[in-house]
Amino acid sequence: MGVPMVRITLNQVYAVRDQWSLSASGTFNEGVHLVSGDVGSGKSTLALMMAGLLPLSGGSIEKTGITSGMLSLQFPELHVTGLSVAEECTSWGVDPCKILEAIGLTEKKDISPLSLSRGELTQLHLACVLAKDYDLLLLDEPFSSLDCEEKVKLCARIGQKSQGITIIFTHEQNILPRVTRIWEIVDGTLVDCGTPPNAFQHWHHVPSVIEKLTALGSRPDNISLDDLREAACRIQG
Amino acid sequence: MITAEFLCYRNLAIDALSIKPGITTIIGANGSGKTTFLKLCAGIAVPDSGTLLIDDALPRETETGWVNEFPDRNILFVNVFDEIASPLRFRRIPCDEIDSNVRACAETMGITHLLKRAERELSGGEKVLVSLAAALVHHPKVLVLDEYDSHLDARSLAKIEQGIRTAGADYVIRCTQQMDTAIQSDYLLFIDSGRITHAGTPDLVFPILKDTAYYPVVWGCRWSESH
Repeated sequence: MGVPMVRITLNQVYAVRDQWSLSASGTFNEGVHLVSGDVGSGKSTLALMMAGLLPLSGGSIEKTGITSGMLSLQFPELHVTGLSVAEECTSWGVDPCKILEAIGLTEKKDISPLSLSRGELTQLHLACVLAKDYDLLLLDEPFSSLDCEEKVKLCARIGQKSQGITIIFTHEQNILPRVTRIWEIVDGTLVDCGTPPNAFQHWHHVPSVIEKLTALGSRPDNISLDDLREAACRIQG
Repeated sequence: MITAEFLCYRNLAIDALSIKPGITTIIGANGSGKTTFLKLCAGIAVPDSGTLLIDDALPRETETGWVNEFPDRNILFVNVFDEIASPLRFRRIPCDEIDSNVRACAETMGITHLLKRAERELSGGEKVLVSLAAALVHHPKVLVLDEYDSHLDARSLAKIEQGIRTAGADYVIRCTQQMDTAIQSDYLLFIDSGRITHAGTPDLVFPILKDTAYYPVVWGCRWSESH
């Protein structure tokens, strides 16, 4: 028996608010997807709609083979329910000792999660989210506030996921995981840019470092830091 | 000059530091003390011991604009216009002057279309842009920005970088995890566990960080571009 296929399909989904609108069509198959877009373009709105937390103004979303899902909100403070860092871990159904040791926050287990720095709170939140496997994982700005080393660790963790759909909504430009497909929101419409590296040609929000490397004759194969470094090494010899 | 001597507060300890006018960016790990240092510069916190002076004055005696790392914590008012106007209204500036200053600032930040919106309807990035406008609108001497760029796209960042440079603040002190932002600084401070371990221009500091995730790939391309 084969592994069940997972898929989420957006059928002419749209959201409308005053003069602002977003329309989205496309199929997200298993793998890691990146969704980019300008401030206020509708990335978080799309994430909320895909999670079923925001009603659609029109269209439909079809989920196939998805039995578990998680939306990590842009603002980790909105997830907090525990009075202490350890309680916060428990509220996610994970072992505080194991999680806090992994992210180096054991000494802060008794303080309020809201007393952590924003980066530490994001680390805590993502460690709790990523402790479980979900068929559909929606990560809204997961890199925001993480330090560069932690961004690299998060990329590695996402890269270890062997199944399911992971969709990353982000502005991050430099430290990203390898992705299966790139999407972007342009002028109120979700656009499928395709798979890297060919996607770079059509991607309005292509990171400047990829543009620079390509202009220097060394187009990276994908968008991960390793891919960028490898492309830079090809130039520098 | 911003000067610190034998400064101690929470996990932060700085024996001696001088920061010239311009844009200074602080980088380092989560929890290393970046926000703590920014709060001292903004006068939100006062040192347990030692001194921090801005042109020989205490931070609390200095005109300062501040943007919090938690976008929701910057917001005081219901709608965007009132939020940006608030620093001017607190100073009892004439209404027509407030109106023109708010609109000019919103234009610079590219958020004129948001002026009538309720803040609760804004995206995370839009909230940061509004907070930045509110911090800039009264032309502070010191602008303190805590990871303001973590919710902004590259185009917005390029636009507001220009706005920050032309706002007239003598000192911009900011922290970031975006090395593209750090590159555009006059001065970099790298903080590790509450201590400043590297300080200097990007040309001096980035080569020291070459084997770390803080070293921007684009920095390594500069040599290739020039040859």
